[in-house]
Amino acid sequence: MSLIIGQILPYITITLFTLGVLYRLGRWVGPRIVHNITLSPWMKTNTAVTIRVAEEAFLFRNLFRFDKVLWLGAILMHFSLLNVLGGHVVGFGTLGKQFAFIPGLGITEDLSEQMSNLLGSVFGLLLLLTLLFLLYRRLTLPKVKLVSSISDNLWLVFLILLVGVGDLMRFFEFAATNVDYKAVQDYLVALALFKPVTDMPLLSNYFFLTHFLLVQILLIVFPFSKLMHIFGMFAERWIINRVYKDPAPGLPNVDVAAARLAGIGVPSGDAAEEGV
Amino acid sequence: MPEYNGMVQPVRATPQELSKIFVEAVPDEQKPEKAVEYLDSIRKKFRSFVMAMESCVKCGQCAENCHTYLGTRDPNNIPANRTELIRKIYRRYFTLEGRWFGKLVGAEDISLDVLEQWYSYFYQCSQCRRCAHVCPFGIDTCEVTFIGRQILHWLGIAPKLHATTAGGMYKTGNHMTLPKPGIIDTLEFLAEEVVDIYGAEIEFPVDKPDSDILYIPSSADFSLNEYTLMGAGLFFNYIGANWTIPSTVTEAGNFGFLFDQYHTQRSNVNKLLDAAHELGIKKIVWGECGHGWRAAKMYIPSLADRPVRWPITHIHDEIADLIRKGELKIDPAKNYQPVTLHDPCNYVRACGLNDNMRTIINAVTSDFREMTPNGADNFCCGGGSGILFDDPEMYQRRIQLSQKKADQVRATGIGKDGNGILCAPCSICKAQLYPMVEEHELGVEVKGLVDLVGKALVWK
Repeated sequence: MSLIIGQILPYITITLFTLGVLYRLGRWVGPRIVHNITLSPWMKTNTAVTIRVAEEAFLFRNLFRFDKVLWLGAILMHFSLLNVLGGHVVGFGTLGKQFAFIPGLGITEDLSEQMSNLLGSVFGLLLLLTLLFLLYRRLTLPKVKLVSSISDNLWLVFLILLVGVGDLMRFFEFAATNVDYKAVQDYLVALALFKPVTDMPLLSNYFFLTHFLLVQILLIVFPFSKLMHIFGMFAERWIINRVYKDPAPGLPNVDVAAARLAGIGVPSGDAAEEGV
Repeated sequence: MPEYNGMVQPVRATPQELSKIFVEAVPDEQKPEKAVEYLDSIRKKFRSFVMAMESCVKCGQCAENCHTYLGTRDPNNIPANRTELIRKIYRRYFTLEGRWFGKLVGAEDISLDVLEQWYSYFYQCSQCRRCAHVCPFGIDTCEVTFIGRQILHWLGIAPKLHATTAGGMYKTGNHMTLPKPGIIDTLEFLAEEVVDIYGAEIEFPVDKPDSDILYIPSSADFSLNEYTLMGAGLFFNYIGANWTIPSTVTEAGNFGFLFDQYHTQRSNVNKLLDAAHELGIKKIVWGECGHGWRAAKMYIPSLADRPVRWPITHIHDEIADLIRKGELKIDPAKNYQPVTLHDPCNYVRACGLNDNMRTIINAVTSDFREMTPNGADNFCCGGGSGILFDDPEMYQRRIQLSQKKADQVRATGIGKDGNGILCAPCSICKAQLYPMVEEHELGVEVKGLVDLVGKALVWK
């Protein structure tokens, strides 16, 4: 089991994930932007467009404008997720010493490791809570219930499981046996170098194996799911947020002052005075 | 007929009416299969459609932001669900997950029932783009209902209203099927009215060769919104413009935009450009028509089969420009009644007319009150995309669709003394709101913006 999940599946996962994402993106770039459907009010410069798209993508501007509760849940969830993902990369990459590499701050390796642990705990927990909130919202709010399909709810349950198992390893000793920065780093390096890792104690931890399996399922299904909205966001905005410049106003051969001086339209009598 | 399994539907065009817009209906037993075939061809062309199909996460934000859902509380009128009516078919036939997991991911086989759903719900969408405006991703439901309506059109399912309106364009060059002599008569009559009402002597030149400006009025202005047409006439005469109205295209609207963005819309565009060429004009100025202005401003560049030599602007653009330059002498006291502005969706979310409308209304009226929300956040009148159906069931629905607008107008308090003006500078808004202000007893009169300009001009 640990051989399949730990040493064979990862290669299949990466392949399917990459090809899947390319396939899906390919399906998007084939069709063209046929008509100009830019949303107005217009943005006049590319800088303005970039700022708008960044606001939407990173600050969730529209959610903030029209649904503050959803905005709070969504931005905390995504922000925690971003930090959790980043934490995995730098945490395992530097063994928790990432902050010590920042020049000028004088952070020791020990302190960095403590900070890394603290941040991981905070965001790991926050991610779980916000996912639970989003699921609660889907199950209770009538308008959201009305638009949710089974898979929308399943995704949240799946992510809650995945994050939940991760948090178990972080917070509980019994789940964390043999799991530490170094063990995971060694394992990932071996995987990347195509080296067999049969004797690693890490792979005898079922919590780790479950977490790792769920991640791989996630990556395999990712390209065929709504999680692709991370790319969809930019593809959609690329269509509807563009620079547009109105043609200049001004009518040909029109001289209003001259026309008024000539009294165009004013009857020769004095009727205009009475007009309303 | 106008109800099918509990869904309201507009009355359908007869085979004869369809024939006049060059459509031959697909036999019922072939409809589902053909629908998938058409959908397949269209999804390979329009990225806006593909992205709407593939990026929705169902957050539900669009629900409370759609006047159709607010007015009807029908779950299928939530934009995310309305698009789902076509997305479930898209998934089933064009995605791996839909083919493999079916119902789990919300995929469904095509059937006549699904097409009937499309017909009902895509013709309750006003294509106002408010959902695109509020969606965190910017998913444009409009792009989906356009294509749903397009497929129905190719299958031979179209509302009588849309088919006959589009047919009128082929026949006479306007939606009201006014022949040229009727147009000239009406304009002469309006010129006389102008003398009586405004005390100005003006002309409405038709087909005048070597004019500088081609003015395209909405054909509804000849019969329903005469004050808008008079207002435009007053404005062009006031500034001494060398202008004309082309008898071949007395129509600012383009119903092709609403249900056939291929043949119908393109023929209308070409008819206009032919007229512009023949009359040797220098600039095209568009009249008050929301969908028509969007179709002209944003779609002519991509639908004209030739380089477009004439700049095209809206009459509001030109009036606002002259007001900013201080060239018009205006007396806002002539429009002393309390007035609010209904922002036509196509103007503010698709054509950027927001500021110009406000420049004008602030200059020509003395008691202007904004409704909330306004500008790009505004709600549709409920008639958007020409869903002005008169058959009893659909008429009841129109009252529901205009509920949000009625609430907004009431909140401004302009109708309290029964003399308020609801300025709605778009022919479809006007056609929807004339009866709706009565149904909701708002105590306001519906007017265009150019109407108010015409009245406020000071001639000497």
